[in-house]
Amino acid sequence: MSFLLIIVPLIASALLLLARPSGVRQIALAVGVVNFAISIFAAYSALYDGTVNHETNIAWIEQAGIRFSVGMDGIGILMILLTNLLTPLIILSSQSQRIDNEPRYYGLVLMMVAALNGVFLATDGMLFYIFYELALIPIYFICAIWGGENRIRVTLKFFIYTFVGSLFMLVSLLYLYLKTPGSHSFAWTDLVNVQLSTMEAIWVMLGFFFAFAVKMPVFPFHTWQPDTYVTSPTGGTMLLSGIMLKMGVYGAIRWMVPMTPEAWHTLTPYFMVLAVTGIVYASIIAVKQSDLKRLIAYSSIAHVGLIAAGVMAWNKMGLQGSLIQMLNHGINVVGLFFVVDLIERRLGTRTLRQMGGIAKVAPRFAVLFMIIMLGAVAVPLTNGFPGEFLLLNGVWQYNNWLGAVAGLTIIFGAVYMLRAYGMAMFGETNAETAEFTDLDGRETAVLGIIAALVLVLGFFPNIILQLTDGTVNRILGSVQF
Amino acid sequence: MFAGLFGKREVLLPVTLLGLAAALGVSVMSLSTGDAGWGTQYASMFSFDKYAQSFTAVTLASVLLLAGMSSWGFRTLNSSLGDHYALILFSLCGAVCMFSFTNLVMLFIGIEILSIPLYVLAGSRRDDLASNEAALKYFLMGAFATGILLFGMTLVYGSTGTFNTAAIGAAVERGVASPGMLKMGILLLVVGLSFKVSAVPFHFWAPDVYQGSPNTVTAFMATAVKTAGFAAFYRLFSTSFLGVNEFWSIGVAAIAGLTMTLSNFTAIFQTEFKRMMAYSSISHAGYLMMAILVAGQPGSAGAILLYMLTYSIATICAFSAYIVVAEPNGDGSFAAFNGLSKKQPLVALVMALSMLSLAGIPPLAGFFGKYFLFSTVMQQYPWLVVIAVINSAVSVYYYLKVIIAMYFTKEENTYEVLIPSSIRWVMVAGVVIITLLTVLPGNIFGLI
Repeated sequence: MSFLLIIVPLIASALLLLARPSGVRQIALAVGVVNFAISIFAAYSALYDGTVNHETNIAWIEQAGIRFSVGMDGIGILMILLTNLLTPLIILSSQSQRIDNEPRYYGLVLMMVAALNGVFLATDGMLFYIFYELALIPIYFICAIWGGENRIRVTLKFFIYTFVGSLFMLVSLLYLYLKTPGSHSFAWTDLVNVQLSTMEAIWVMLGFFFAFAVKMPVFPFHTWQPDTYVTSPTGGTMLLSGIMLKMGVYGAIRWMVPMTPEAWHTLTPYFMVLAVTGIVYASIIAVKQSDLKRLIAYSSIAHVGLIAAGVMAWNKMGLQGSLIQMLNHGINVVGLFFVVDLIERRLGTRTLRQMGGIAKVAPRFAVLFMIIMLGAVAVPLTNGFPGEFLLLNGVWQYNNWLGAVAGLTIIFGAVYMLRAYGMAMFGETNAETAEFTDLDGRETAVLGIIAALVLVLGFFPNIILQLTDGTVNRILGSVQF
Repeated sequence: MFAGLFGKREVLLPVTLLGLAAALGVSVMSLSTGDAGWGTQYASMFSFDKYAQSFTAVTLASVLLLAGMSSWGFRTLNSSLGDHYALILFSLCGAVCMFSFTNLVMLFIGIEILSIPLYVLAGSRRDDLASNEAALKYFLMGAFATGILLFGMTLVYGSTGTFNTAAIGAAVERGVASPGMLKMGILLLVVGLSFKVSAVPFHFWAPDVYQGSPNTVTAFMATAVKTAGFAAFYRLFSTSFLGVNEFWSIGVAAIAGLTMTLSNFTAIFQTEFKRMMAYSSISHAGYLMMAILVAGQPGSAGAILLYMLTYSIATICAFSAYIVVAEPNGDGSFAAFNGLSKKQPLVALVMALSMLSLAGIPPLAGFFGKYFLFSTVMQQYPWLVVIAVINSAVSVYYYLKVIIAMYFTKEENTYEVLIPSSIRWVMVAGVVIITLLTVLPGNIFGLI
C-alpha cells in the first residue's frame, strides 16, 4: 500500500505536465484527498510496536544492490500523515489565487508530494537519496518560475547549496555500502549493521549532517533559507517550510544517528551548540524584522533549531518532542504563511508598519489568525505546547545549560509573534487596511481546518504521541553507543 | 551514396535509417541470445565479443537518433547530401573496428576510418570560414595525434614483438627485454588517444572544432566518436597493459583530474551554448578517464557503457533542441533560449531533461551513469572521486543556465521556434530512452 502514496501523485503529475487536461485544480485536489485517505487507512491498519508496516520490496537495480523497498513504522506514519494532511491544504490555499500555467504548477506540486512520500517511506539508502534529490527539482522550478524579486539568483543559491549538501550524504552512503558484507546492499537493515571505527564514523556522520543541516536549516548553514522563503510563491514556501525541512530532521532520526552511533559522543556537543546558537540568533533577528514573511522564516529557523537539538539529545523526551513538533510546526507554519499571503494579496505589502487595525474590519480572520499564532507561541492547550515542552525537557536532560538557553525560544517566540500580531491586527486602521475584506469561503475553510487542528492536537497530544511511542522505544533500544 | 549519384535524394534517409535499424537489431539480438559473439575473425584481427557487441549497439542507437535529426539538420545540402550520409556511415565502420579490434593494426585502421570522414564533415560548410578553420584544425591535430599513436604502436611492437593485443598483454605480464621502450610506447599511446578523446592538456582543438562544425556533425563528434575513442582506449589498456598499470595509472589519473577541473571551470564562463557543450563534453571525458584507471575490474566496462549511453542520448537531445532554436535565428547564445518554455514546451522539456541528466541530478539517467562510474573507482581512487564529485557540483551551475533562460527569464526575444516533425520524433525517442534508462539502468550496466 505504501507505494500507492508515491505512484498515484507521480502518475497524476505526469498527466498534468504532459497532457495538460482541463479541470486541473479539481484533479490536483482530488489526488491530494485520495492520498490523505490512503495514509489515514494505512495509519489505521498499522501496528505501532516499531515494526515496518505495508512493505513493498522489489528488485530494482540488482547490480548495485538497490531495491525499491518502502514501508512505514510509527515515525514513517507520522511523516506520511503530515505530508498528506498538508498537501490538500496547500493545494486548496493555492486555488484562492490566479496562477499562470496551472497544469505546470499543480503537476510540479504533485511531483513534489510523490518525492516527499518517497523520502519518508524508503527503507533502502539509495532509494532514500534518490527521492531526497528528486524533491529538489520540482521545488526549484516552483520557486523560480512563480517566485518574486531576485528569484533566479536566490533559487540558484538554494539549489546549489542543497545539491552540494546531498552529495556529501551520497559519499557517506556509498562508504557504508562498500562496508556491507558479501555482495553489497543499500538496505537500511544492512547499512545499520556496519561497524565503523570512531574516526570513520565521524566522517560518515559529518557527510550526513551536512546534507541534513542544510535542509533543515541549522545555523550556520541557514543562509539560503530566509531569501528563498521570502522570494518563493506561497505554495512553494509552504512546501519548503511545512514538509521539506522535515526531510532533514527525519533523515537525522532515521539515517544519521542509527548509522553512525560510534561518532555520537564526539560530535553531538558541537551539533547541540550549533542548534542552540541558531535558536537564539534566529529569534533575535526575528524580533527585529519588519517584513512579516521574513519574520516567519526566521521563526522557522528558531523552531527547527530546537527540534534539531531534541533529536541530537537522543533521549525519549527529545525524540518524542521532535516528532510531535515536526507535525505541529508543519501545521502552524503553513497556517502562518497562508495568513501572510492573505494579507499581502489584500494590502499589496508585507511590511508590518503599513498594517494595523485589521481586527476591526475582519473579525473572522482575526480569530483564526490568533489561534494559529498562539499555537506558534506554544501556549498551553495549543498544539505547539506539548512538543516544545518535551523538546526542552529532552535538551535539559542532555545538558542543563543548553536546556536553559534553548528555553529562551519560548520567550522570544512570544515577543516576536505577539508584536507582529499586535502591529498587524490592532491599532488604528489606515486607508489601505480599512478596505480589508474578511475571508471568503475557501480561505475560511483552509484557516479553519488549521485552527481546529491547532486546538485538537493541543488538547489531545496523545493521539500523536502514541503513534510514535513504540518506534521510538525500539530505536532507542537498538542504537548502542 | 550511390543513390545520390543517381539523383534519388529522397530514398537516402530511409535507406540509412533502415540499414542502421537492421544493424542495431542484429547486435541487440546477438546480445540477448547470449551468443558469445562470432569469435575471432579474419586472421585474429577482430573479435566481436560481448564488449564489442554492446558498444556497437549503443553507438548504433545514437547514430540512429542522429540520422533522424540530420534529415532536418542537413536540409540545406543539395548535391552533397549522399556524401554526408556515406561519410557518417564510413566513420561508423571505423568505430565498429575500434570496438572489436584484437590487433593494433586494426585499431590504427579503425581510428583512420573514423577520422578521415570527420575531417571532411567538419569542413562541409564550404563557404563558412569557421567550418573551414574547424576542418583544418581538426585535420592537423588529428594527423599529429595519429603520428604519435603510430609511433607508440611501433615502440610497443619493438619491445613485445607482436601486434596482437592479447599476446602483448601476455608479454607485458611476463616482462619484456626492453621495458624502457615499452614504457615510452605506452606513454605515446596515452598521449595519442588523449588527443582523440579530447582530454586535457590535449584538448585545445575541441572547442573550436565543435563550434565551427555543422551542428549535426558536432553532435556526432561529441557522442559516437567519443564513445569509439573511450571504448578503444579501454579495450587496449584492459587487454594489453594491465601488467604495468602502476606505470601509466598516475599519468592517467592526473589527466582525468585536470580534464574535469579545467573544463568545468572554463565552461562556467561560456556564453555560447555550443561552446559550453564542447567544454561539457571535455569534462565528461575527464570522468570517463577514471574508468581507464580501473580497467579490468569487474563492472568498469559496464560503467563506461552506461555512462556513454546516457551521455550520448542526453547530448543528442540537447543538440536537437539547440538546432531548432539557434539555426533559424542565427543566435547560439544562452539568450536565444529565453522564454522557450512558453513558446515550445516540448523543446524546453527535452532540453531541461538533457541538462539535468548531463549534470547527473538524481533520479535522471545521467545520475546512474555517474553513480556506477564513481562507485567503481571509489575503492582504489577515493581522492579522484572526491574531485569528480566537486566537479559535478560545479557543472550544475552552467547546465542550469540554459534552464534558467528557458523557464525563468522574463525578457522575451522575438525568435520563432518551429519543430520539424523529424526532430519531434528524435526528441520523443530521446525522452523515452532517458526515461527507460532512469527506470532500468542496471540492464545496460549488466550487459558486459
